Amino acid sequence: MTMDRRSVLGLGGVLAAGLVLAPGMRLVAAPENVTEASDKRRWGMLIDTTHCDAACTACTQACRTENNVSIVGDPQRDIHWIRKVDLHDKDGRKPDRSLPVLCNHCEHPPCVHVCPTEASFIRKDGIVLVDMHRCIGCRYCMIACPYKARSLVYSKPKVPPDANTRVPIRAKGVVEKCTFCVHRIDDGGEPACVEACRKDGGGSMLFGDINDPNSEISKRIREVSTTTIRADLGLKPRVHYQGI
Amino acid sequence: MELLRSLAARIGVAVFVTLLFVLAVGLPANVQAGPPQLEEPKGGGECIRPEGWMRRNHMDFLKHQRGLTVREGIRVRSESLAKCAECHTSHTRFCDRCHNYVGVAPDCFECHLFPE
Amino acid sequence: MLSEFSAIEGRSPRYWMLVGLFALVLAVGMGAFLAIEVYGHGITGMNNQVVWGMPHVFAISLLVMASGALNLGSMSTVFATVQFKQFTRFSAFLAIVLLVGGLTVLLLDLGRPDRLLLPMLHMNFRSMFTWNVFLYSGFLVLCLLYLWSMFSYKQFTKVVGSAAFAWRVILTTGTGSIFGVIQARDVFHSAITGPMFVAVSLTSGTALSTILLVSTYRRTGRHMDEKLVFGLRNALIFFTLLVGYLFVVEKFTKMYSPAFYDVELWLFTGPWAKLYWFGVWGCCVIFPLMILFNGRWGNTVHGVMAASGITVVGVFAFVAHVLLAGQSFPFDMFPGYQLSSVFLDGVDAVYTPALVEFALGFGGIALSGILFLLGIKFFRLLPGRAVAPKGWELPWSP
Ligand code: HEC
Ligand code: HEC
Ligand code: HEC
Repeated sequence: MTMDRRSVLGLGGVLAAGLVLAPGMRLVAAPENVTEASDKRRWGMLIDTTHCDAACTACTQACRTENNVSIVGDPQRDIHWIRKVDLHDKDGRKPDRSLPVLCNHCEHPPCVHVCPTEASFIRKDGIVLVDMHRCIGCRYCMIACPYKARSLVYSKPKVPPDANTRVPIRAKGVVEKCTFCVHRIDDGGEPACVEACRKDGGGSMLFGDINDPNSEISKRIREVSTTTIRADLGLKPRVHYQGI
Repeated sequence: MELLRSLAARIGVAVFVTLLFVLAVGLPANVQAGPPQLEEPKGGGECIRPEGWMRRNHMDFLKHQRGLTVREGIRVRSESLAKCAECHTSHTRFCDRCHNYVGVAPDCFECHLFPE
Repeated sequence: MLSEFSAIEGRSPRYWMLVGLFALVLAVGMGAFLAIEVYGHGITGMNNQVVWGMPHVFAISLLVMASGALNLGSMSTVFATVQFKQFTRFSAFLAIVLLVGGLTVLLLDLGRPDRLLLPMLHMNFRSMFTWNVFLYSGFLVLCLLYLWSMFSYKQFTKVVGSAAFAWRVILTTGTGSIFGVIQARDVFHSAITGPMFVAVSLTSGTALSTILLVSTYRRTGRHMDEKLVFGLRNALIFFTLLVGYLFVVEKFTKMYSPAFYDVELWLFTGPWAKLYWFGVWGCCVIFPLMILFNGRWGNTVHGVMAASGITVVGVFAFVAHVLLAGQSFPFDMFPGYQLSSVFLDGVDAVYTPALVEFALGFGGIALSGILFLLGIKFFRLLPGRAVAPKGWELPWSP
């Protein structure tokens, strides 16, 4: 289990806002009033590309609704926290692949290194975040990130009618990116893309604490052969890929 | 030295006159406009901090809280910005009215989905 | 020996027309800034692939030239090149105005200029940007001190001038390193990106100084010894050769490694090839050298002016090429695979600069221009007659 047990079981039998995720899945209780990110954890993700269908966009759709990432309508300037990338082997030896690319929440994130105001920072549990209150929109982070994980907000964003009120939208002039759904993690949940992939997609995304040797993700990473994107850069990304 | 002293004296006089002027012109104008009519909080209970304290310190409180939440990862759900909306059900009729009156324009609601 | 310093008169209608023209361009630039502030960067040509556009090209070119403008000063104060001693005040002043123009553009292109003070409150000392904040402000202070010492405290000129010289080398290395340290981008990442910027600042600063000196002396009907211009020419030739050398070394090292075959081929033949060959190689190295080494053109003031003009165009081309080509080359996230996605992975980024960006950039140039024009009117920056010192002869001519 990848969840914070304290917040799962915290309310004992009360289960004030219990919610069934999927048949056989765990119950999530309303979180405690005060929770704190733990510096013992390092959140990571494992994506099994062999089960990712090129036509499926469950993860990207879920991300848009969860985080109020609206489509601008201009492909050059659309904001993508997570996107599906199709791979075709130039030599034709390996099969075509389709996979989601998102912020890799690196251990040594170049975006954080170059940010002049410390708006981009690493939270205690390893999540790389942008502090929207501190971002001056210099875009140096976008220059430095090798994954194109970041987008600048080019014009005043539309507020979707069914906006998720738990997540603020972003104003024009700041840089935004995937947060691993930090608000859900703090509530003891998992990122929206992972949940959607399990429900509506191929179930190819696994999320968890890679610092915990007994977590499912740690076990899988030990068992199967995985790669990270641009491992040569030495950034130690925490999104692992299987099958490429 | 002499020059400095006379300069200081002049600046002092200038500041004093300006202040008088502001008081004479500005104050009555504001009094005429009257304090803003703020919307009554829903539920009628107590604010999450004593009302007077909140009026004076809510900006620092919010900024402290947001540093805690965003950067430290410590969420205090009963004191989040979204929580304010449970009682103060409109930012235009509560926060903004007061801010317009005192002449500050925080940009929070560009992003935070607070009920209009 | 040297004639007295004196301000230009600056009363002719031509002078005020020039000031007015710059003021107009500056006003348009301010308008552009306001438009971007109100409507967001959506009205520029930048996008989520090419996030630094024309404003950065203008700003960084100005900053590079600012450091280069100090050349004449350093040459005389640090390297005892006597014939340029009379231009040290001009040199330090030019450095200041170019720096102000460039920095203004850089800051006004931020996504949220309203938060401009934040970098002062929270600094990340690992960021090249933070370094540059210190480098620029330190440079500004040193140039002001340098200027001041030249006016009032001659005994400190040598110390301050030497410090300013050391500082500017670090400064421009820092500017280049904004790009050089970015490992993710193949076009940027190189240990000699910084030195290349320094070299380009040497050529463009000398070239701009030449243009401004010659035209100021001509327009004000003052005398400037042609020998001095040819002295500048010789310096320019030397610096240009240095630029060419660094360009070759960088390309050679990269092309030797198979990992860079794709990028380099793309740079030579891809969408930015024209800018590379004509702008970077042509304007920075080949065309100026062809003029300056030519026995006929190289020995006329017009020839030197033309070469200098081309060199100044060259610095813009160089910065534009590093910046725009560097951002346009698609990331090779999965080597061996052809990528495609809705976020334009695997294809060259497209960038068409918008008019507002040019307006903002030219606004910065106009700001520098106005400050320069007012400076030479109100301060005694230039000698009334620029003559070569007695006994000094040109060491070489083509
Ligand atoms: C439980 C309901 C409740 C919550 C939650 C709440 N408030 Fe209040 N707030 C009140 C009440 C009741 C008052 C008193 C209003 C009055 O008497 O006019 C008040 C007063 C205030 C005042 C002073 C208004 C004045 O008239 O001077 C401010 C400022 C304020 N609240 C800000 C906040 C902020 C910021 C938050 C969120 C962090 C918040 N409140 C959360 C109920 C609440
Ligand atoms: C009773 C009047 C009043 C009400 C109601 C009020 N504020 Fe304020 N607020 C102020 C004053 C006065 C200041 C300016 C303090 C200063 O200038 O330092 C301020 C400043 C702020 C600031 C800091 C602005 C800055 O530029 O630093 C924030 C943030 C803020 N308020 C948020 C809120 C929110 C959110 C609400 C509604 C829940 C609210 N305020 C309601 C009076 C009020
Ligand atoms: C550019 C968009 C943006 C602006 C402007 C903005 N915020 Fe935020 N804010 C965010 C985001 C994004 C979060 C992270 C939400 C999360 O992690 O749950 C956040 C989180 C917070 C939090 C902690 C979460 C919570 O609900 O308590 C507080 C408090 C907060 N902001 C206060 C403010 C205040 C006060 C202002 C105005 C001075 C402001 N914000 C302006 C985007 C913004």
